[in-house]
Amino acid sequence: MRRSLVIVLVVALLLVLGFIYYALDPSQSGFFPRCIFLEYTGYKCPGCGSQRAVHALLHGDVAAAFHYNTMLLVAIPWIAVCLFAESRRTSNPRLYARLNAPLLIWLFLALILLWWLLRNIFNW
Amino acid sequence: MPIFATIVKKLSFIFKIMQYWINHNGVQSGPVDLDGLKQLGLTSAAYVWHEGLSDWVKITQLPELQGAYEMVADGTGQPQPASPQGEPRAVAQEPATRPDEPVVGQPYQPQQPAQQPYRQPAQQPQYAATDQPSPAEPCPPTNLVWAIISTVLCCLPAGIVAIVYATKVTSKYRAGDIEGAKRASETGAWWCIASIVLGILYTPFAMLIQTALMN
Repeated sequence: MRRSLVIVLVVALLLVLGFIYYALDPSQSGFFPRCIFLEYTGYKCPGCGSQRAVHALLHGDVAAAFHYNTMLLVAIPWIAVCLFAESRRTSNPRLYARLNAPLLIWLFLALILLWWLLRNIFNW
Repeated sequence: MPIFATIVKKLSFIFKIMQYWINHNGVQSGPVDLDGLKQLGLTSAAYVWHEGLSDWVKITQLPELQGAYEMVADGTGQPQPASPQGEPRAVAQEPATRPDEPVVGQPYQPQQPAQQPYRQPAQQPQYAATDQPSPAEPCPPTNLVWAIISTVLCCLPAGIVAIVYATKVTSKYRAGDIEGAKRASETGAWWCIASIVLGILYTPFAMLIQTALMN
């Protein structure tokens, strides 16, 4: 019973957030928080632009989302697959083990670090 | 730091990630979460084990499982489930019949005192099927999903630290260092929580400051 309550709360929160990010444009409105890392260091973090990217995605504008934060578009399918593997861990442990293999996580980490470096060099 | 581990444990309990293994009248089952455990129709004679316990405990000893089982008269003082190598079926029988059916491989001990820590229930076929070296204990959670989410959405590079810990969990587990894997898992979970909580706490402040600057 508590589990279904948590699921309902999470879905409600996601719907509210989704509506806010659909209705308001983070690049126009001043109400959205700026990245702390960008604010204090002047460099973009790997997550910078994801609010604008989410807004663009909710409007179906994949090209704009790609422009704002490419990593988010890479991460979303990855997260979906990982969540799926997590929910199927007992019936399909092999998939979970493969996805959580150190090599794969190291590759993902390298990808994020590379993205972090390149976006600050080329101002992506 | 123990307090962080406690927070992680509390959260994992609230969100039902806690998994239980059950020995009920000599029949082992699990892992199941709390909802699954309630559906098993256990009695107070059942023994349960979850991560962090050094040995099987009676189901009545875990306060969070109150109401998840049916009380039955338990005057005989059932012995604890035998070690995984023993015959689980024999354990559940009445103690009176015990001397006639010796447990294979080891002498009968009425109450097994403190065994080696983190001993797992007998078999876990679902995890034994993987290419992981230690089928006895499942790999602790890597928190990879949360690490990725906090990296791409929370604007805090703390998520990257969490990803590093996610790699440590699996590699330590595969090297046989289960304790180290558990520590890495909890530390990584803590970095995820810190990243997400800081991101959430920071948001209203940032909005206030920006609104103040605009006016």
